[in-house]
Amino acid sequence: MIQPESLVVLLVGLPLLGAILTFVYPRAATAVTAACAAGMLGAASGVAYAVMVGGGWSQDLGGWAPPLGIGWQVDGLSASLLLLTAIVGSAGAAHRAVEGLDQPFFWPLWLFLWGALNALFLGADLFNLYVALEVLALAAVALIAMAGGGALPAAWRYLLASLLGSTVYLMGVALLYGRYGALDLGLIAGALEPDLPSALGAGLICLGLLLKAAVFPLHFWLPSAHGRAPTVVSAALSALVVAAAWYLLVRLWFGPFAGLQGPGPDWLFGLIGTGAMLWGGLLALVQRRLKMLIAYSTVSQLGFGLLVIPLAVGAGAESAWRGAVVLVLAHGLAKAGLFLAAGSIARAHGHDRLDALGGMGAGVVLPWLALVLAGASLIGLPPSGGFLGKWWMLQGALAAGGWVWVAAILLGTLLTAVYVFRMLSVVIRPAAPVPPAGGGGLPGALPAFVLALLALGLGLAAPVLEHLLSGDAMTGGPA
Amino acid sequence: MLVFDALLAGALIWLAWQATHTPGLFRSVISFIVFGLLMALAWVRLEAPDIALAEAAIGAGATGALLLSALGRLAVTHEAGTPWQERPDLYFWIPAGAALLGLLTLAAWALPTPGLGDDVRRVLPDSGVANPVTAVLLNIRAFDTLLEIGVLLLATIAIWSLGRMPMPSAPAVRSPALTALGRVLFPMFVLVSAYLLWRGSHAPGGAFPAGAVVGAGGILSILAGAQPWLTGGVRGPWRILLSLGFATMLAVAWGVMALGQPFFAYPPGLAGLIVLVLELAAGLSIAMSLVALYLAGQPPDHWGPEAARR
Repeated sequence: MIQPESLVVLLVGLPLLGAILTFVYPRAATAVTAACAAGMLGAASGVAYAVMVGGGWSQDLGGWAPPLGIGWQVDGLSASLLLLTAIVGSAGAAHRAVEGLDQPFFWPLWLFLWGALNALFLGADLFNLYVALEVLALAAVALIAMAGGGALPAAWRYLLASLLGSTVYLMGVALLYGRYGALDLGLIAGALEPDLPSALGAGLICLGLLLKAAVFPLHFWLPSAHGRAPTVVSAALSALVVAAAWYLLVRLWFGPFAGLQGPGPDWLFGLIGTGAMLWGGLLALVQRRLKMLIAYSTVSQLGFGLLVIPLAVGAGAESAWRGAVVLVLAHGLAKAGLFLAAGSIARAHGHDRLDALGGMGAGVVLPWLALVLAGASLIGLPPSGGFLGKWWMLQGALAAGGWVWVAAILLGTLLTAVYVFRMLSVVIRPAAPVPPAGGGGLPGALPAFVLALLALGLGLAAPVLEHLLSGDAMTGGPA
Repeated sequence: MLVFDALLAGALIWLAWQATHTPGLFRSVISFIVFGLLMALAWVRLEAPDIALAEAAIGAGATGALLLSALGRLAVTHEAGTPWQERPDLYFWIPAGAALLGLLTLAAWALPTPGLGDDVRRVLPDSGVANPVTAVLLNIRAFDTLLEIGVLLLATIAIWSLGRMPMPSAPAVRSPALTALGRVLFPMFVLVSAYLLWRGSHAPGGAFPAGAVVGAGGILSILAGAQPWLTGGVRGPWRILLSLGFATMLAVAWGVMALGQPFFAYPPGLAGLIVLVLELAAGLSIAMSLVALYLAGQPPDHWGPEAARR
């Protein structure tokens, strides 16, 4: 029996080792990445299973206990996001391998991104989380810039926004360290008092993370960066990188910053989330390009996730908490599937202008099918993961009597349905004659299809998810 | 001393403003470099000599060289940019910045001074080194440093992924004095860096300043017309040397598990040796990365006459 603690070590070490190998021996890049992907799928599944069986745990690195050393923590939330990362990372790598582009530096950058995400989902130390955020952002910027052309200014703007977010975050970390002499999340949670340094530190950290998560109204950098990046990079950015910033915000808000909770911040986050849902949805409606529509949809869907902050307190907290996590997981699977499918369609047509795309036909059947299925999960049709997440969130909101948030979720869902149908109205058009060269064929579209199926089937795993996420109260989730 | 500190703080703010708002990029860059030097002085006043060394070597030295070489490659424009008096957004940013600064000052005033210095000194005998900063960087919080060394490798890969390096790598006209100086100085750079590396175990120094000094020496010798030896191809030792620090840290983190230790926990008795090996490997990779960053792109696979002519 392998110890789950060593599986966690594998989750961080394997992608970093892969990054070195693919840089030094680019000829073996796809084989190395495939081996890493297989290892991480196995390790992430093992970690999730261990959490289901025995609950979460925390471990010290290097034998040094906090406050001196750095700790890792694993619970249902981090285990499920680690698994999501493994799935989306593998699917993206498979799609990229089929695309067959000659850009050898893609692989080390991709694996660095992956390793940083895993380190971030495990970290329990404010400064170590900052370093993981930096690695993540740098890898993401370089990957966006790989598309060249119009992606370069988008990558540049993302770099500046991300650096600003990091700086603001680090200022907050410095204040909290100065106040409590600790960086460990658990130690700060135990000591936190609502005074000026703590409130200012927490506020700066949240501001930095909101900027990195591209939460309305700080979303200005996201659509062009996500819409113009290479296909698999868009998928990873929208499904994972944004989710990582959301994860950290939620982890901190219900962990060390729990002492600052109150009606004021709850309303603020709720209103920001509602604003994101509506504004992102409206802008997704008016986009002319398929990938840009999907990118604006990320702004909108992130708003749902943010509603966890006003909802996961008081009555119905547990249900709302579970719902929000499932919603983020379902969004990750569906959004990665959407981007990969859109990439296949765009390659087949040579562009992704919505008004000139042809419908479902030879060569693009599977991508359009993936688009339909992932769209269904995004709207929240049963039995998709989107449905389950919204259902649990609504249950939580109803139990707490939060009618405003119920209305907001329903309105956001309506908008989602409208822009998804706008995208899908292309399907019923007559098929365009597809040039035989493009498309990537069946293997290229397969990862997108698998992701869409997973998003759709996630709702069927409700009992498993409930079990996985129910133990979070002990390790940082809402009490 | 209070007067000196006040002057220093005032000069820092003035230079920061100059670096961001003066018309003309050259003056901005110079202000930035001077800012880095004065910042190093400020760290000395705050009794943080390790940070002062790093700030002077990287903040002023390496970054300054990068900025100047970037400036040299930019197309010459005589546009002064928008003078700050005509930028309406400053009416938002200046009050917002002042408010944040005020809040930060109030908060900093209210801070106790706990810190973990005493705790680190208490466990110092177990860490294998006598310098608390090195103990924190390469033993107690070595996982942070692993990721930070990773950032350097990642930055190199990111820059290489953007395209080939611009040619030529050195200014067309260079002073003959520089060539001679480069030849004489490079061994000095290596010597100083070896001293800093050795010092790191018991006094301020260590891999970061040592690597920065050798890297700066490499940049200087390229400026002086030396052929850059770093190639971008797969053959040759360069990719391995660039990854050496990161790979060694990862190997140690995993290797100790073979000795029955937890992840990244050095076996007692071997800690001093492990830290020394990590310092050497990391210092070498830091120096390589700085030279690679300075070349601003993937170098050619071979440095032949045809590469120089391109």
